[in-house]
Amino acid sequence: MRPLDALAEVCGDVRPGAPEEGVLGVVPGLVAAPATAAEAAGVMRVAAEHGLAVVPRGAETRLDWGTPPDRCDLLVDTHRLARIVEHASGDLVVTAEAGLALDELAAALAARGQRLALDRPLPGSTVGGTIAAAAAGPLRLLYGSPRDLVIGLTVVRADGEVARSGGKVVKNVAGYDLGRLFCGSSGTLGLIVEATFRLHPVPAAHAYVTCPVTGAAQAHEAVQSLLHSPIAPSAIEVLAPTPPSCTVGVLLEGVPEGVTARTAQATALLGPDAQVCEEPPEGWGLYPDGTTLLDVTAPPTSLTHLLTEIGADALTATWSAIGRGYVGLPAETAPDKAAAIIAGLREGLARHRGSAVVCYAPADVRAAIDFWGPVPAAKLMRQVKDQFDPGHRLSPGRFVGGI
Amino acid sequence: MSEGLARLAGRFGRLLGPDSVITDPVRLRTYECDGLTSHRASPGLVVLPDTAEQIAQIVRDCAAAGVPYVARGSGTGLSGGALPRTDGVLIVTSRMRRILEIDIPNRRAVVEPGVINLDVTRAVRADGYHFAPDPSSQQICSVGGNVAENSGGAHCLKYGFTAHHVLSCEVVTPDGEIVELAADGPGYDLLGVFVGAEGTLGIATKITVRLTRSPEAVRTLLAAFGSIEAGGGAVSAIIGAGVLPAAIEMMDALSIEAAEAAVRCEYPPGAGAVLIVELDGPESEVAHQFAEVERLCRDAGAFEIRVAADDAERALIWTGRKSAFAAMGRISPAYLVQDGVIPRTSLPRVLASIDALSAASGVRVANVFHAGDGNLHPLVLFDDAEPGAAERAEEVSGKILDLCIEHGGSITGEHGVGVDKSRYMPRMFTETDLDTMQMVRCGFDPAGLCNPGKVFPTPRLCGEVPGVRKGPHPYEGKADLF
Amino acid sequence: MTAPDESPEQPASSAEAPELLPQLLGECVHCGFCLPTCPTYVLWGEEMDSPRGRIHLMQQHADGAPLNGAMVEHFDRCLGCMACVTSCPSGVQYDRLIEMTRAEVEQEHPRSPRERVIREAVFRTFPYPRRLRALRAPLRAYQWTGLDRLVRRTGLLERISPSLAAMERLAPPLGRAPRLPERVAARGGRRATVGMLTGCVQREFFPGVNAATARVLALEGCDVVIPKSQGCCGALSLHAGREDEARAFARRTVEAFEAVDVIVVNSAGCGSAMKEYRTLLGGDPAWARRAEALSAKTRDLAEFLVELGPRAERRPLPVSVAYHDACHLSHAQGIRSQPRALLAGIPELTVREVDGPELCCGSAGTYNVLQPEAASELGDLKAAGVRATGAEVLVAANPGCSMQIATALGRQGATIAVAHTAEVLDASLRGLGAAALTRRRAPGGSTDGSGPSGPRQRFVRP
Repeated sequence: MRPLDALAEVCGDVRPGAPEEGVLGVVPGLVAAPATAAEAAGVMRVAAEHGLAVVPRGAETRLDWGTPPDRCDLLVDTHRLARIVEHASGDLVVTAEAGLALDELAAALAARGQRLALDRPLPGSTVGGTIAAAAAGPLRLLYGSPRDLVIGLTVVRADGEVARSGGKVVKNVAGYDLGRLFCGSSGTLGLIVEATFRLHPVPAAHAYVTCPVTGAAQAHEAVQSLLHSPIAPSAIEVLAPTPPSCTVGVLLEGVPEGVTARTAQATALLGPDAQVCEEPPEGWGLYPDGTTLLDVTAPPTSLTHLLTEIGADALTATWSAIGRGYVGLPAETAPDKAAAIIAGLREGLARHRGSAVVCYAPADVRAAIDFWGPVPAAKLMRQVKDQFDPGHRLSPGRFVGGI
Repeated sequence: MSEGLARLAGRFGRLLGPDSVITDPVRLRTYECDGLTSHRASPGLVVLPDTAEQIAQIVRDCAAAGVPYVARGSGTGLSGGALPRTDGVLIVTSRMRRILEIDIPNRRAVVEPGVINLDVTRAVRADGYHFAPDPSSQQICSVGGNVAENSGGAHCLKYGFTAHHVLSCEVVTPDGEIVELAADGPGYDLLGVFVGAEGTLGIATKITVRLTRSPEAVRTLLAAFGSIEAGGGAVSAIIGAGVLPAAIEMMDALSIEAAEAAVRCEYPPGAGAVLIVELDGPESEVAHQFAEVERLCRDAGAFEIRVAADDAERALIWTGRKSAFAAMGRISPAYLVQDGVIPRTSLPRVLASIDALSAASGVRVANVFHAGDGNLHPLVLFDDAEPGAAERAEEVSGKILDLCIEHGGSITGEHGVGVDKSRYMPRMFTETDLDTMQMVRCGFDPAGLCNPGKVFPTPRLCGEVPGVRKGPHPYEGKADLF
Repeated sequence: MTAPDESPEQPASSAEAPELLPQLLGECVHCGFCLPTCPTYVLWGEEMDSPRGRIHLMQQHADGAPLNGAMVEHFDRCLGCMACVTSCPSGVQYDRLIEMTRAEVEQEHPRSPRERVIREAVFRTFPYPRRLRALRAPLRAYQWTGLDRLVRRTGLLERISPSLAAMERLAPPLGRAPRLPERVAARGGRRATVGMLTGCVQREFFPGVNAATARVLALEGCDVVIPKSQGCCGALSLHAGREDEARAFARRTVEAFEAVDVIVVNSAGCGSAMKEYRTLLGGDPAWARRAEALSAKTRDLAEFLVELGPRAERRPLPVSVAYHDACHLSHAQGIRSQPRALLAGIPELTVREVDGPELCCGSAGTYNVLQPEAASELGDLKAAGVRATGAEVLVAANPGCSMQIATALGRQGATIAVAHTAEVLDASLRGLGAAALTRRRAPGGSTDGSGPSGPRQRFVRP
């Protein structure tokens, strides 16, 4: 039996891939869109039987991230896996399918006064894609990233078996936490089909306090004063479209009386130029402009260095005081120049125990750069990958070290 | 001692010095159990290394000899996670207790695995910071143990578990290599799965922890209710109102009685349940929310509410709760501590079922729990002098776990699986689930020498195992028969 | 009454019932809360050198394992500081367990000839003021000639016996030892009549403390009775497992103080032992009631002064003091707040806390003589903590602690004035000024400052 027919037997939506569906130019042979976890399992089983290389796809918001797959026989599209399975609002827990858009999830949760405390830098992005990319925004300062909020995960393995870890309760140490392992695994360990998240109440009030600063040292000072203050901010961001001058912004959430008082404290810390507003400042929670995007691990004390460096090269950046940020390289950056910039950033950040990983880059730049930089524990990663995907069929070549 | 272990003892003696290798049987036996005394195994050999390089060498030597090894910190675990192997080496990290770096501007500290949890907080308290995971054994449990068990504590309702507060770990892998696993950075989040793997994936030798800004204000109240149901109602109301307290703890009448006998905590007489609610954060937030919590407790039927006016009064409120386990000795000769989790909203139903279970079996059950996150600690009381009583208690204890699973919960919220609960794992997970988890183990430790026999009821075969194979090959064994 | 014989009476029958030990052992739930407060665990990080491990060893022995050298080594290394008793959430009576175990070790375990010589020397000297007094003259001459510095420099004594070297190091500089009268009258209106224990080491080596105690009590309106018939209270023997010897001392002490309503004790180890007489003599029908009465009326000086309440005027002492909790005061008697309250009540005096207050300084009765290496490591830890306070005066309620810490400071090349709580109060009540305390430099400041170095790593307290 041909793979297409075999897939059609287990899944209601199977068709050949179209040229415009290429994953970084690699056109999929087939596209299957399972509607249930059982269908997804069937699809993966058939793929295993036929030795098909599989790349998962959600809303395509980050399909151009990473390196191109070595091959893509089958694109598994999750858009039909888009249900909220259970919202246990009394327990502040929600279970949703992988293809559900975070925006839709947020709307449903908001109706009951709750939220998944993850920013959505790219509108439309899905539950599964967000987990696979470990994507988060400014709120990560207080609430963390997907690894901190996923409490249960269901995946389909390379061999088509459905496996679950974690559960529906926040406090749970039974067994290995595969949820955290799958966060940021870029579709290389298995197909995410369902996730359970810990939720938080939507705060009754919030306010943004922002302040323009002209130099790296002032930005650092402002961040340190906020970070070590008792005002318990939900986010502290540095927005640097034209570094080293930038905007330092802080988000305060809570009860109205509390937010009012803490806003005053933050204003006092930031000085006379501070402004209070209800809406986020421009660029808040978005990736910086540019055709090449870097995800940088940059602890607070590296901020001065980071802003100075990228200012010199006319790059753009956003940075969270948790010590994580994004740097954008403009479209006109030549490949060798990009390679030099990235190497320089890595060298500088390494001195602060930081690192830089490329999220996406144009093809010519990709060819010139080291996408991941030094990868500690690369051998262990390969060993784990070999266990989950011994045939190397899941998003092959999309991840570190050729994984 | 076997010849293999004796040879290792000699090697380790040269590596570490004679003071750091224990071979005397009487001394070895003092390491036969951790905080869970119902499982005991005297280790074949105990070593007390000082450095990661020494641990790496020990692990390499064990791997070469096909000898299993187990890491142990302060030995306070409650699931037998550090239960030694009689045929193996126990690697004790209690001498690796240096705080290597305190970096307040970056809100982190680097510590060795034997550093005591509370000592991290003590070291940064003056700077206005603390290490958030606060298991009740925090005065002695080690950070390395916290990493292995993904420890929580009363305040993890708001602040999360160890996994949320560890930024990176230097780890000796079962290959005997020293590698850095980090939450941030390129590649898989191996740290995420390493934390909470109960020491089965390697040994943490250096841990970078996140430091948390200590709250500006802390306010604590004790509310007394006529019944557990009323107390449970207050919990739901508080959570439902969008308040996220630092901690919500509940005790039932039996545990109040025990605590009273042990520490005279002077909880309101006649209470069927007491609730301890602690709020922390900015003063302006806490003041407002605290008034709300007080009102919600009254509305839910609290007949007495005490608000701690200062640290001493707060300590007094917590005294009863913190002594509850040890205090059980005052009302029962022996007891089992259970650790199960249920969705918070199932609390009334599950507690009613536990009551029924207790009534039907005649086994008394006291309940102490982290009510905010549905983490139950039923204390199953029995008289160990009475024949069959321990078995009956064990049975009730197991049935409580079944209740937790039935209600969509977990068999352990914070004590871990260890050896104690591995047999319950198939009730919560399918064979495939467990097999999938063990793929990680096979990736890290294909030879299965690193803390074997923990977490999983049956080990997974890892396919081609590099290095020395343990025992005869299955086919070789059969061939010998002919 | 005639002067009592200075040798113990014949042994009385053992007070402990055979079923008691298993019951006491069974109370330990193996939680490990005792570990961080145990000085030897802090030093070496070994299970067998923690209370939990020692209880495990006791259990092994109770289950039939013979008492062997390994077990005895770990029992001997216990300081008996009782910090573990304070930290235990289950109420395990480790104090009784270790005393019972030590008694068994003394009866059953043969010691090496060298160990025997040292132990006999200690227990035949320290509890006997007269014998201690006999030591004073040669010691004074030894110090006065400077021979002590010479001997220390050569390390000769260390090589012959670390224990003897420890005894030598710890000898305080000896001044005049005034005799106290049998009765000191209250100043102002009399508020109470109290008996006062003079102790052995206190009386012979720190006579100034006893004089200060008597003056403070009198100034606070107490008639102080100091019975001549009193001898050693038996604390050293009791804590070393020499129970019969301890009982003999206890009986004599009971007799000596039967006439008074309250006994004020200024030495922590003595006070804690006397509060234990009710257990020590509890099995002896002829003495149980009398021992109970004595224990009930025993008070530490600070405890008594706080109960009595201040009346005499406190004059300013502009000085900073580091207060050290003697284990037998804090852990054995639960007295922590009272001495601090008394010190804080003195105008212009600041009390500084030593880091890790629960941790023993390593003195622990005869420990610094019998386990000199461990004792000096602990002394170094404590000395570092004391130095970090930057205080001018170290205050402790036990002579052993002061000697121990001062000696350790000396090894680190530092000196500090030491004083007993009674002496600080005395200086304040009499308006002597801060110099009365600060000019009292401690002994031992003349060594080369290099601390002992062992193969074991020491705990670095943050």
